[in-house]
Amino acid sequence: MLTFESALRATEILLALAFLQQSAEHIFGSRDARSLFFWRAVMSIGLLLGYYSEWTLLAMSAHSLLILNRYQGPYNGGSDRMGLLILYCLCLSRWLPEGLPKEAAFGYLGFQVIVSYFVSGQVKIINRDWRNGQALQDVFSFSTYPVAESLRALAKRPRLLWAASWAVMLFEVLFPLSFLNSTTLIWALVVGMAFHVANACLFGLNRFVWFWIAAYPSLIWLHCRLVLGG
Amino acid sequence: MWKTLSFALPVLFPSWQFFKTVEPSPRVQWALLSDGEGDVVEWNEFRLHPLKVTALQMVLRLFWNPYRNDTLFVVSCAERIQQFPDPHSIHEIRRRILSDLRKLPFDTTDKLLQFRLVFVHRGEVGLEHEVVFLSDITPTVVPVTC
Repeated sequence: MLTFESALRATEILLALAFLQQSAEHIFGSRDARSLFFWRAVMSIGLLLGYYSEWTLLAMSAHSLLILNRYQGPYNGGSDRMGLLILYCLCLSRWLPEGLPKEAAFGYLGFQVIVSYFVSGQVKIINRDWRNGQALQDVFSFSTYPVAESLRALAKRPRLLWAASWAVMLFEVLFPLSFLNSTTLIWALVVGMAFHVANACLFGLNRFVWFWIAAYPSLIWLHCRLVLGG
Repeated sequence: MWKTLSFALPVLFPSWQFFKTVEPSPRVQWALLSDGEGDVVEWNEFRLHPLKVTALQMVLRLFWNPYRNDTLFVVSCAERIQQFPDPHSIHEIRRRILSDLRKLPFDTTDKLLQFRLVFVHRGEVGLEHEVVFLSDITPTVVPVTC
């Protein structure tokens, strides 16, 4: 049984590590907005060590507005959105009064993890191009996502891509059902992690891996709280 | 201030509609010109994808992927320009092209730069390429003012 405080702390540590990875890429890699990400890295170390977490989270939330302003939105779309959602939910959980308000803020994050998978699957499954495998063929044939030109050859394997499309859609739309049972939830999270790693390998979307993993403790806690009655 | 807060609102209420449809995909191309009058002779692809990435490289990129993430940001900027050619996105793309030009083995400081956005999509008979944006012609070096 995962307690509220343990889940909160686990999420803080995972988020701090994800932000440190992101900041290192900006400071030493792309060398873009280095001073902004230097301060995010410093605050992430504070969060990792757990000193004055509520104040650190508040400062990081305010600082996130500077980064949003610098790039006129999230730098890396969905992955950055999840990172910031985790940050804001953690901040609210630390600052709201004990009891239901605190739990609601953290539970909202777990709820959004479920919604993120379900909505992604739902919008695909109602699209004919996704159902017949054409969408994934398009992704490999002309989108900017494949990390290497050699991967474009996969566009010429329609049966494989049809099967992959259905595997992704079914996993995503059925994900909410896994919430009802502890064993299926753990397996769904393992599959989810593998899914994000595959996306990182094929499309270079590495930040999704770290931010979604950082949100998983909130979902496990929500399951314990609502289904197991913890 | 309100504009900045408007960036944070979609974070709190996200839509999560990843890959709903596969939209036309942007390519950034740049060209160097000797003067602002002549036509562009050759367009160069900005940050070509490598031909092959090994399994080990894929694993390492889980932890260290700044170049790719920066290129994904350029894709976002190109998509924003397609919607509305905002100066911020144009500046972000131009800045990165200029930065990459400095790594070329020849001097480009006396040249002029122009870039364009070509969107690729599936047409009736194959892939189609459409130029949707052509930038102003600008110097490759910002003049120093006293």
